[in-house]
This record gives sequence, C-alpha cells and structure tokens, in this order.
Amino acid sequence: MAHDDPHRFEDIHHDLHEHLPSEPALRVKALESLLLEKGMLDPAAVDAWIAVYTEEIGPKRGATVVAKAWLDPAFRQRLLADGTAAISELGFEGWAGAHFRVVENTPAIHNMVVCTLCSCYPHAVLGIPPNWYKSAAYRARAVRDPRGVLAEFGETVPDAVAIRVWDSTSELRYMVLPERPAGTEGWSEDELAALVTRNAMIGTERTLKPAGDGRR
Amino acid sequence: MDSVHDLGGRQGFGPIDTKESDEPFHAPWEARLLGIARAMARPADWTIDRFRFVRESMDPIDYLTRRYYDQWLQTYAALMIDSGVATVAELASGKSAGKPQGIAPPMSADAVAKAKRGMARFDRPSEAAPKFAPGDAVVTLRNGAPGHTRLPQYARGRTGRVEHHHGAHVLPDRNIDGSGHAEALYTVSFAATELWPDAVGRNDRVYLDLWESYLARA
Repeated sequence: MAHDDPHRFEDIHHDLHEHLPSEPALRVKALESLLLEKGMLDPAAVDAWIAVYTEEIGPKRGATVVAKAWLDPAFRQRLLADGTAAISELGFEGWAGAHFRVVENTPAIHNMVVCTLCSCYPHAVLGIPPNWYKSAAYRARAVRDPRGVLAEFGETVPDAVAIRVWDSTSELRYMVLPERPAGTEGWSEDELAALVTRNAMIGTERTLKPAGDGRR
Repeated sequence: MDSVHDLGGRQGFGPIDTKESDEPFHAPWEARLLGIARAMARPADWTIDRFRFVRESMDPIDYLTRRYYDQWLQTYAALMIDSGVATVAELASGKSAGKPQGIAPPMSADAVAKAKRGMARFDRPSEAAPKFAPGDAVVTLRNGAPGHTRLPQYARGRTGRVEHHHGAHVLPDRNIDGSGHAEALYTVSFAATELWPDAVGRNDRVYLDLWESYLARA
C-alpha cells in the first residue's frame, strides 16, 4: 500500500477505537505503562516537560517580545524581518520556533492567526494553545467569518480596517504584534508586557487597554 | 487526504468558547499525554507529516468529538502499531509482550533542558530557481492533490497573489515516510471575496503558505 494511501491507517484506528479503555485518562495510563515496560519512556522526563509548559514556556514570553518591540524600534525591525533570530536573542528558541514570523497590526490592518488543517501554533513563545484555538468552531470560522469571531471575543473591527487571516498551512508559525495602546508613554517593559494578552498575540483581541491592572 | 480535519469555512459549528480559563491543561491526563509526546522514544522514520496524516486518518466522528490530546494519544498508538513497536492488545492492557528492536533510548529528565530549546528546521538548500515571485497572480490546483496535501479545500481553484517566497521547504505530501523532498514555499494571499460568498464588500484577505506544485500561473 502506498505510504500516502488514505486507507493505510483506517483499520488500525478502527481496532484502537474498539479495544482501548473507555476513558481518556485510562488510555493515557495504559500508554504510559506500556512505554515504560518497553523501555521507551522515562517518567521523570514527562514530569520535566509538564513543568516546562506549566511554569516556564507560555504567553508571558510572547508578551515580553511585544513589549520589547514597542520600546526598541531596532528590535521591532529585526523581529518583523526574522522572527526566529529575534526570539533567539531573548533565549526563546524552542518547539516550532524555527520558522517564526511576526505580523504587525496597524490602524488600517488587523491580523488573526489560525490553523484550519490541524492546530499549528508558535509554542516557543506562546506555550500550549487554548482549547478554543484547537476547536472545530474556531478553525472553521476564522478564515470565513473573522469579524464574527472577533465580535464573540468582544471586538468590533470597523469596516475600514482590513483583516488579514493567516492560515498556518506550513511549518511557518505566526504571531501578531498588537498596537501599543495610547496612554502608556514612559511605561517600563514589565508594565507594558503585563498589558499584552495571549489572545492579542493570536489576533482574537485588538484593543489592549492601559486602564485596569496593567500598571500598579 | 480529504477528511473532516479540513475545517476552513465549514458552517454549523456554533459559537466559540471565549471564556475558557487560562491554564494550559484542563485535566491531569492532558498534561501527561503532552509530556509523553515530548519525551517518548520513537522510530527514526516518524515525521511531523506522518503524525498529521495519521491523526487525519482517524474516524471522522472521533476526530470531531474526541478531545485534542485524546486524538494525539490515538495517533501515537496507531503510529506504534504501524511501525511494529506495539500491538492493540498491548496498548489496551498497558502490558508489554516484548521490547522493540532498534529504537534509541528515551530522553532523560536532564536532557529536557536542552531539548526544550531545540528547533527542527524544514527549509532545505535548493538549486532550483523559484517559478514565481512576489506580486505574481497564481491559481491553485482545482482538485487539490492526492495524499497528504496542505492545500485546503476552500482554497482550491482560486486565484491569489504571491506575497513571499520562503525558499525550499520539505513538501508534506512526500514526507509521510521522511523523503525530505523539498520544494519552493510561498505565502499566497486571497481576497475574501474570491473565497466566500458572504464576503461581499469586505476588504479582508486570507494568507496561506503553499508549495510550488499546488500553484500555476494565473
């Protein structure tokens, strides 16, 4: 059977559906036990990866990148020209970061990122994607109804603003550089980073707010 | 392949859960599976493209109803069976009937500190001159391509504009078993009005990364 024959894996999936334990938690437990017995897994490495994506690698990295770009025009230029090199300056190299592109919002343009075919995401700077990013509803609608999606996230984008939707169909991974909010002149990098939300870097939020708990 | 994973533009899925809490994992087993996926030993010929192809080969009902990391679990299980490193009975019981041959030892906890900064590259050196340049009008294959194509159905047979040439990248269609064959990759943008009947009057565009063999001069 050809390697890319669409039927190659159908029987395997069918057997797994029939025979694996009924609950996902039990299926994972069985897989982990099996890999351990086969000498294919070190559970301490599993713990270490969970700690990495719970405590270390997440949207705070992206927020640091954005705040730096707002404060340092030369860094912003490097970031837009070669995202991977720019995040490597900050030690943020990692999973799915080798072909990292940043797209910039302006008063006339709003960018939004999706992966309609799977759930590709810039893990190195945003960590683990939210469930909604991986959901059928978001993947189906983002390319066709971006304004409706934004409205559900509480954003009304004027008709004069053109929306660019980036469908991540290759190993290139996208992040949005939001606009710096007015009223943040003189703010420090940390204060600015605290304003930057994960959704703004995916593009389902456009208007970051300087009020509230950004500056304490 | 053309299954339900190709979701772009499908209607009827309803609203998005915009109020989801911020933590990365919503159940301990989800975190566990992510950790297993990052840490497990594997045959040398597994590729990201094979992983996606196997996930997309899942029963369409399972694909649409199972939680994300549960889909990953079944994908890894199917990959193990296909590669001959496990059987359904072993995966169901969690008990091994024998160790596989020729697989490198698993990652240690100490190795995670280095691995977390690792970045696999997908661009490749190429002597071939790119057929298209930024600004060119191109039309996509009307019928897609057989096998593991990354040309979504909503963007087939449509006319767009080349925005960037990214050099040669590994072609997913031919990388299920790790051929590594590379081809020019472009970002191509399409007017929303070229793609959707409900986009009339909107100045929006959709950008996709498409390989040269998916494109012809318009």
